[in-house]
Amino acid sequence: MIRITLAQMRRSVGRLAAAGIAIVIGTAFVAVTLLAGNVITSTTYDSIAAQYRGSDLVAGGVPVDDAGLDAVRQVAGVSSADEQLLSFQQLEHGNRTIFQGVLATPSDPAMLPLDLADGALPAGAGQIALPPDVAERFGVEVGEDITLVRNTLVDADADVWEWEEAREQLTVTGIVDDPYGAYSMFGGAAVAPATEVQAWEADLLAPGEVSTEPSTVLVGLDDGADVEQTRAAIDTALSSAVTAAGGDASDLEVVTPTEHAESVAAQMTGGDNIIFTTFVLVFAAVALLVAALVIANTFQVLVAQRTRTLALLRCVGADKGQLRRSVLFEASVLGLASSALGILLGTGIAQAALTIGSGMDLGIPLPTSIDITPAVVIAPLVVGTLVTLVAALAPARAATRVAPLAALRPADAPSSARGAGRFRLIASLVATVIGFVVLGGGVAISTVGDAPSDGILVALLGGSMSFVGVLVGSVFWLPRVVALAGRLVGASGPTARLAAANTLRNPRRTAATSTALLIGVTLVGMMSTAAASARLTMDSELDARYPVDVTVSSDLSGDGSDAAAMPVGLAGAIGDVDGVATVVEVPATLSGLTGPGVDPGAEVMVRGVTPDDATSVLRSPEMVAPLAAGTVVVPEGIAEVWSITDGQTLTFDRPDGELEVTAAVTELQDDAVVVVPADLATLDAAAPTTALYVGLEHPGDAASVVPDIQDVVADTEAPVNVMGAAVERAGFEQVIDTALAIVVGLLGVAVVIALIGVANTLSLSVIERRRESATLRAIGLSKGQLRGMLAVEGVLIALVGAVLGVLLGLVYGWTGAAAALGWAGEPAIVVPWADVSLMIGVALVAGLVASVVPARSAVKTSPVEALATE
Amino acid sequence: MDTTVFVPIPDDAPAPGAGAAVTPAVRARALTKTYGHGEAEVRALDGVDVDFAAGRFTAIMGPSGSGKSTLMHLLAGLDSATSGQAFVGSTEVTGMNDKALTALRRSRVGFVFQQFNLLPMFTAEQNITLPVELAGGTVDREWLGTLVDTLSLGKRLTHRPSELSGGQQQRVAIARALVAQPDVVFADEPTGNLDSRSGAEVLSFLRRSVRELGRTIIMVTHDPAAAAYADRVVLIADGRIAGDITDPTPESALAGLDALRTVGAR
Ligand SMILES: Nc1ncnc2c1ncn2[C@@H]1O[C@H](COP(=O)(O)OP(=O)(O)OP(=O)(O)O)[C@@H](O)[C@H]1O
Ligand SMILES: [Mg+2]
Repeated sequence: MIRITLAQMRRSVGRLAAAGIAIVIGTAFVAVTLLAGNVITSTTYDSIAAQYRGSDLVAGGVPVDDAGLDAVRQVAGVSSADEQLLSFQQLEHGNRTIFQGVLATPSDPAMLPLDLADGALPAGAGQIALPPDVAERFGVEVGEDITLVRNTLVDADADVWEWEEAREQLTVTGIVDDPYGAYSMFGGAAVAPATEVQAWEADLLAPGEVSTEPSTVLVGLDDGADVEQTRAAIDTALSSAVTAAGGDASDLEVVTPTEHAESVAAQMTGGDNIIFTTFVLVFAAVALLVAALVIANTFQVLVAQRTRTLALLRCVGADKGQLRRSVLFEASVLGLASSALGILLGTGIAQAALTIGSGMDLGIPLPTSIDITPAVVIAPLVVGTLVTLVAALAPARAATRVAPLAALRPADAPSSARGAGRFRLIASLVATVIGFVVLGGGVAISTVGDAPSDGILVALLGGSMSFVGVLVGSVFWLPRVVALAGRLVGASGPTARLAAANTLRNPRRTAATSTALLIGVTLVGMMSTAAASARLTMDSELDARYPVDVTVSSDLSGDGSDAAAMPVGLAGAIGDVDGVATVVEVPATLSGLTGPGVDPGAEVMVRGVTPDDATSVLRSPEMVAPLAAGTVVVPEGIAEVWSITDGQTLTFDRPDGELEVTAAVTELQDDAVVVVPADLATLDAAAPTTALYVGLEHPGDAASVVPDIQDVVADTEAPVNVMGAAVERAGFEQVIDTALAIVVGLLGVAVVIALIGVANTLSLSVIERRRESATLRAIGLSKGQLRGMLAVEGVLIALVGAVLGVLLGLVYGWTGAAAALGWAGEPAIVVPWADVSLMIGVALVAGLVASVVPARSAVKTSPVEALATE
Repeated sequence: MDTTVFVPIPDDAPAPGAGAAVTPAVRARALTKTYGHGEAEVRALDGVDVDFAAGRFTAIMGPSGSGKSTLMHLLAGLDSATSGQAFVGSTEVTGMNDKALTALRRSRVGFVFQQFNLLPMFTAEQNITLPVELAGGTVDREWLGTLVDTLSLGKRLTHRPSELSGGQQQRVAIARALVAQPDVVFADEPTGNLDSRSGAEVLSFLRRSVRELGRTIIMVTHDPAAAAYADRVVLIADGRIAGDITDPTPESALAGLDALRTVGAR
């Protein structure tokens, strides 16, 4: 039987290859994911253990004095042992001051976790090596001097400790890099001789005081020393030394840097890389699911085409089990071979990415070669083979149903006329309906019930359930949709009518092919719709929260107490910054406030803005809509603090005069009430301009425009604060965009596999319909028309999948956004037209492209074949 | 058997029917087709000269492998000749490019296949009208009606091929071959897949198409009984024209074939 199976496989090698490609891509995806996880793990470990780079063992958890260090140094196999010492010191040069961590040089320079980039390490007193950033900010080069400013505790007994400032000249002997970011938290580390650093630290202690802080001892081993033995010996030596000094040695730990990294990573709730890997593996799963559909499809066709052979085998005595095993054996061979190829492809891609990545400056050193662990090989191999096997189960069952009689019937084009079962229809209907109800429930819980975290979970459950229902039921409704679409295009001519009729010949296959695409497109559509909705919801929320793009304010404390006038000309200078649309000067004064029901002693900042200016600069002008002479706009927050009610009369009093106005409470978010400038003048004719409201041309550009504004402000040297609400907004938008780009990229793999599926299906149809194509050619179908027919078929299948996917994606995207962001305000219903048209465009082009190769082989068919007897 | 009408024709004799006043519907001149190269070379057709008159029903007979199908493919422009010429009417089909050949097949040539080759997803009527639609023309309803009546397909037009018997399917195929009113219809063993009754039915419809509708039909067959429906039988052996029988009967056709076999066996 195996011989027959292999012979059959050899005959259908082209078709098998088509199915194999889907698995190759799927497993390559899994392999790349796992490899990326490994790289992330090793870079994470490298950076976690970066402070111990160069050390063989690290002892920590107990305070260690010189006696302890000596004890460690005595241990056989230990080549060096030093306390890891980082001291923070104030360094000065020119008029710049930097507070910098300074590392003590270890006795063995190889144990220094930093790399010497230039010059030499400091060898004696008065020398220091600096991180490149610090040297640059000071503008010093190797050989120049900087100043160390440090304080010495002179009298710790007095009520107030007394310090003495000392200034010393230090010569910069070298520049030290921190490639693994061991001290990136402190902006790198400088290096000074150990004796110096120890002395600086000692000066911070009161005379006679001994540090009881646990210290870390970095140990270097002799070549060939046994790590475990030495570790035990160090442990013994150190604990007896600590106990002898009266310390508690129970926290003592001697570990290798890798062990340290592992335990730290484990403490970090599983570690980022695990979350990353899981996240990406979910998408790999989607890709594999789609691949499974493509494979199941291919096998279905293979079995259908071999009906006669299978029946013949049955006639000559093969039993059902043998046929099933034959198909499954074929699937395992295909699965194994494709998975192996996929792993090769995946490792190739990962290695290429690493090579390219290390060529670019990514800020972290990447390993130069990928780390192929057993998991990287075994997991994709097992998953790929299993997916292929599972996909082949249904076709294998179909193979067993071939009656021996089929061998005697005339050869007809294989067709799977058998409809899907009633059970499937009911199950799919139930899942779809209940799923959508639950989805709606989730949205309600989130928006009406105000419990977003529960709502999202419920919505997720409902959404997944309904999607499964839709997919399972696709065999019933998808062909109908294709028929409808076919009828539409069929009106355009006989070629299109032929194509439309062809897509309906095998509804199951068409449904499966379209469904494969539908999955990917739905998910991509969902993500982009949700992102667009989320962004719009967020926008209106942000409009309300940050009504002004950028506020430049001299009111540093926020209560008006120290507000000074803006530097003259600043408004004009900011107005000249590229990307700034409007600048409004806002004068303000602090005023007492009385009124019926208003809490006594009320005092507020009163700003003067003209209604026109307010409309032009505010993102949510409706919040100052009531602004007019005689009216004061009171932000909700202030109204609450002082018990001000909407529509009541308020009286402001200032030395310059009194003002009676009507209060209009709005949702404005501000720490001041707003009146028109004329009213403000009544209160304080000389009210200083304490704020500039800056409107940007595109709030999305905030990240680049706001620093320019900050530069302009910094030039004036005035104590003025720049608050870029738009920066925060741009940040939110960027987070959404980046996440979306990653997710869409990952799901794109599924779409690519599905498109291969479309090409696959078309190729199979072409092979299957050889005689028919020849007949059509014989009765007058031109080559162009044949190509056109296949193109229309491809486009129909792809477009129906894509359009339905987009529609489903819109529904899921909206409900998802509503469930996730319902709390943040009215969920916005947005159609991301650009993304939608892109997806449909891609499907259209892909459908056309998918038909190219099959069409090429179809037009090669000579019409003579229509006359051939078999 | 002394009743034989078998007349061996010398290789250099003028083609039968040559010199007739009307241009023949189909002609072959020194038509040669070889497959393969060197040792493996097969001369499927070896300098065939033959004319097929318009408005006649001609059968081509010969032993298996004698080159009947090859001759038909070359005459219809389905395959390219190694040398020589083939004409449909006064148009030379040898050397035509694919575009011209497609145009030829659309309007001037029809085919009937042994396997029927109807499109399973279309109804009988849609199958019949397909060639006209592919050519972008409009169906001549009157002609369609005539065809449907002649072929007794009236009640079957809305059925799909899977709902028709083999004979009915072949009648649909004949209607499809005739719908564009082609100059000539080629049929390769049209009764090969039918039982004798349906076969007889199909053959009499083919003959009616010629007699009543004035069509030209060239049919390849193995069956002397089928050949007897034709006006003339052209015999072929080893890629050469080996005989010609006018107004054949099953007996005369069989005798002709037998004579070829004895010639071949010699
Ligand atoms: N594509 C081909 N390649 C090689 N040889 C071929 C090819 N087609 C036909 N032949 C050879 O050409 C010769 C004539 O074949 P052809 O099909 O015309 O015979 P036929 O008379 O139609 O036979 P049958 O009655 O069996 O259909 C045969 O010897 C055949 O083997
Ligand atoms: Mg033949």
